[in-house]
Amino acid sequence: MQKIISLILAIPVLMISLMAYGQEDERFFKAAGTPANPKVEVSWNKYYTYQGIDDICNKLANAYPDLVKLESAGKSYEGRDILVLTVSNFNNEEPDNKPGYYIDGNIHSNEIQGTEMALYAAWYLAEMYADNDFIRELLDDKVFYIIPTINPDAREDFMHEANTASSPRSGMVPRDDDRDGLVDEDGFDDINNDGIISMMRRKNPFGNYRSDPENPGNMVRVEGDTNGEYEILGYEGVDNDGDGSVNEDRQGYYDPNRDWGYNWQPDYVQRGADKYPFSFPENEAVRDFSLGHMNIAGAQSYHNSGGMILRGPTVEGGGSEVYSREDETVINTIGKLGEKIIPGYRFLTIWKDMYSVYGGELDWWYGALGAYVYSNELWTSYLMFNDTENRDRYEFNKLLLFKDALIPWKEYDHPVYGKIEIGGFDKNFGRLHPGFLLESDAHRNTAFCIYHAYQTPKLEIRDIKVKKLNNSLRQVTASIANTRLMPTHSGQNLKYNIDPPDYISIKGGEVVAGMTVLDEDNNVCEEQTKNPGRIEVENIPGHSTVKVRWIIKGGKEYTVSVESVKGGRASKKSSE
Amino acid sequence: MKVIINTLIACCLSILAPSLTSNAQTGYHSHNDIINKLDNLAASNPGTCELDVIGKSYSGKDICVLTIGTGKHNNKPGMAIIGGIDGRYPLSREIALGFAEKLLSDQGSEKYKELLNDITFYIIPDASPDASGGLFSDPAYERMVNGNITDNDRDFQNDEDPYEDLNGDGLITLMRVKDPRGDHIADPADERLMKKADLSKGETGSWFVYTEGIDNDKDDKFNEDGPGGVNFNHNFSFEYEEFGKYAGIHAVSESETRAIADFLYDHFNIYSVFSFGPQDNLGKSFKANNRPEGRGGRGSRIIRNIYKEDQLLNELLSEKYHDITAYKGSPGFAREPGNFMEWAYYHYGRYSYSTPGWWYESDNGKRDESSFMEYADNNNYNDVFAEWQEIEHPDFPGEKVEVGGLKPFKMLNPPESILESVVEKNCDFLIEAAGLHPEIELINLRAEKTGKDIARITVNIHNKGVFATSCKHGERSKWNKKIRIEIRSDSDFTLISGKKIYFIDRIPGDGSEEYSWLISGKGNFTISAGAAHTNNATISFNIK
Repeated sequence: MQKIISLILAIPVLMISLMAYGQEDERFFKAAGTPANPKVEVSWNKYYTYQGIDDICNKLANAYPDLVKLESAGKSYEGRDILVLTVSNFNNEEPDNKPGYYIDGNIHSNEIQGTEMALYAAWYLAEMYADNDFIRELLDDKVFYIIPTINPDAREDFMHEANTASSPRSGMVPRDDDRDGLVDEDGFDDINNDGIISMMRRKNPFGNYRSDPENPGNMVRVEGDTNGEYEILGYEGVDNDGDGSVNEDRQGYYDPNRDWGYNWQPDYVQRGADKYPFSFPENEAVRDFSLGHMNIAGAQSYHNSGGMILRGPTVEGGGSEVYSREDETVINTIGKLGEKIIPGYRFLTIWKDMYSVYGGELDWWYGALGAYVYSNELWTSYLMFNDTENRDRYEFNKLLLFKDALIPWKEYDHPVYGKIEIGGFDKNFGRLHPGFLLESDAHRNTAFCIYHAYQTPKLEIRDIKVKKLNNSLRQVTASIANTRLMPTHSGQNLKYNIDPPDYISIKGGEVVAGMTVLDEDNNVCEEQTKNPGRIEVENIPGHSTVKVRWIIKGGKEYTVSVESVKGGRASKKSSE
Repeated sequence: MKVIINTLIACCLSILAPSLTSNAQTGYHSHNDIINKLDNLAASNPGTCELDVIGKSYSGKDICVLTIGTGKHNNKPGMAIIGGIDGRYPLSREIALGFAEKLLSDQGSEKYKELLNDITFYIIPDASPDASGGLFSDPAYERMVNGNITDNDRDFQNDEDPYEDLNGDGLITLMRVKDPRGDHIADPADERLMKKADLSKGETGSWFVYTEGIDNDKDDKFNEDGPGGVNFNHNFSFEYEEFGKYAGIHAVSESETRAIADFLYDHFNIYSVFSFGPQDNLGKSFKANNRPEGRGGRGSRIIRNIYKEDQLLNELLSEKYHDITAYKGSPGFAREPGNFMEWAYYHYGRYSYSTPGWWYESDNGKRDESSFMEYADNNNYNDVFAEWQEIEHPDFPGEKVEVGGLKPFKMLNPPESILESVVEKNCDFLIEAAGLHPEIELINLRAEKTGKDIARITVNIHNKGVFATSCKHGERSKWNKKIRIEIRSDSDFTLISGKKIYFIDRIPGDGSEEYSWLISGKGNFTISAGAAHTNNATISFNIK
């Protein structure tokens, strides 16, 4: 009975949607590069809760059953699904056989806009597929795996509970930060009850701070022999456990981006690490997903902030993941293009330009899986005035946000400090994009990912030459080209045999011998005696060709096919 | 129907299993024997003993911990004793089991009563049961890996080239193939053994030497990818080798290593870990380095040498170990990446000691096969060598192939005839070490009136044990709690000076610290001191 009802309900909905797309909508005129009348309407000037993310994912999967699939990679600590969108043309090749590109966001729970950027990519690809040749070819050739948030529990906490712009950052598994035997017993206290943890100040004629006359509310340190008016008492809080420290054991704390199984080090070396790699269910789910999708050749893990396109190695000197010369070329070529695509973002190497990070997600993707990976630090103060000089947040807040991001200082009673004032920037400002800049930066970062994904290998059987050797034997020579920048195997992949070699097979006759052609002109070949019908090639480099040859008995028409974990598949018949 | 047949076969196998072990060392207990013994110990000592399953091996065998102590187990300093970290060392399991039996059999004595009252013992006799099974499998072989089906040789096939018992003696030894291209010769020090030819001594090889088996996958390598895959003692996170042999997909990736790590991390009261296996710092103490970071490169944050403060205790324990066992020297330290005993110090942040528990005495000081053969001959330790025996080998048709060599487990474990006394000595040592446990006390309480209604209270917190409350390196571990000192009263009071709660990282053996408070108020006061890994000390007084 229930089935019938839902069927009846489904029919009118289908009809309406068919009508809507059956004709031009009179209300819109297309802007270049953006779907004018998307099936799934999403406003890209706000942030989405878990419910909002789930809603967008479901709508995309329902609107585009041939392009978008929604699955769960596992459960978070609090039991939420780790949602994965698979985006590809499902009607040609099996998606998991295509070169894969992975995007996730929000590993640091307060760095929420990675989620919207990841969702934007899924939405944009699906909505543009029908009308844009480049995107169509991309989804025909490649598969995108997009996990909008890999820290959903603490994302919810950031949005719904009292937090600063930098908290929780951690996930929600309780930990004893101050080693006193109690867990999460002294977190922030939202004294003014506004859902935001901002700063506390107290009038004090001997204080070190005064209010900036140019931007009232901005607390500036006094210098020289002048007296201040205020002392700063830190983030809103009280000493909940009576140990003399304030806010020293809040929710979490650990760093989910120090929890990955490559170059891992414990907390005393790498603050934020937990017991061992993959101590948390969210990261475990991503680990299992990644191990089940070895076709992923490129990856992006979104963070905020500072406007950076970060590359490995992450550990001083590179550790066991020193990039080969070929890998340097790939990672630098794409990274430098990123600086052009996303103005204000700088392309940097983590350990050289910042500091060593052990057990980060980047290590896992490149070190353990051999995929080329970047981590974009979203949002830069450059975007406020498109200016490298003027990065004045108070001026921006005044001129463009009409003071929406600032909480005016107001007086409150603190149980210990007495009369205090609370104020400062909202938690949604400083590290997060203001609404009107979110879509534009989402598009630029998506464009970077699309270009990165485009450069995963594309294999083609170029030509198959058949030469008659005698009455019964023929020599078949095939060239297999990789027409993109990335090799089928990164240097790391080759060094540790992460993926099997690329297999080039022939059908259509009895294989007598098989070999790799090293130099066709001078006829230098290397024979493969074991299983000659399936030649093993350790790598097909970017923008290059490999040649293989068989001596075949019988047959007329031959089919040559190539199979590569990260390079995808291709096949071709010989022409008689 | 198929299910029933499988069950029947499984039953038959388990009945047959004991008879298959006739060639193995029989004084040693199988995994099931150990579990049964632990079960009996727990059942017959309900007040002091608790048996828990803390995880399963990859193949589904129980990983058990026997907790021994009187009173509340988790509220006292804990000592963990771990066997079976490397399947080649069945002795380690006997020592752990023997220690549990000893603790419980001598409960009547004052000394044992006191120990069981003061500290808690966590005994895990068989940390990696899949690997331990190598002694009892047919053929028996020195197995180090769990059952995880892996691609050990990274040729994209799993478990495709195991050992084969070619001469049917129930053991995996070596095989040698006569070939002028070979790189081995009979060892001049003992003609029964094979050694690599040394061209600088004018030696030219005449044999190839392989482990016993067939090249199943025809890759010219023998037995390089047998059943299972990950070595417990290579899977821990200290100096873990990415893509290392038997290392696993990442550090602490296996059900066995996770079970042990979780158990230890969750027991904040454990202050020391004693394990038995290839790593030794009891035969020879670790040495501290002026820079604990060693030569880890510029600005390295990674500690690779023990702290000076921790060397002192290591030397003391090493001395005691020699005194009690009468062993000489050290069997050497096996430098294995990702090993358990170094992890327990460098990552878990606890005192960590380990030894094989037995090693043969070598007259010439060397620790090689020929010196072992000499020891075996001199001590009537028979049955250690399988005589070379000619066989037909499918990979070498028409060639001279012989199977033989040292029998597995013999060089690393004592003969059955002395097993009991070896276990006994190691247990005596563990008892001695346990007696050095940390114990804090609040002493030397002084009260002075400093003015009207104001008193200065001073007290010393003293560790009367030899062990510090935690090892020096443990100070830096977030998995070590701080010692909390708190002053309380049943009536209102004001602290004029001093904090209501103090935290201390660590109190060295025989060390003390002084605390004082200026108190305004009257009534009954209590000062308490303690942490998860120490006892709780309190002292009370009254201000009138």
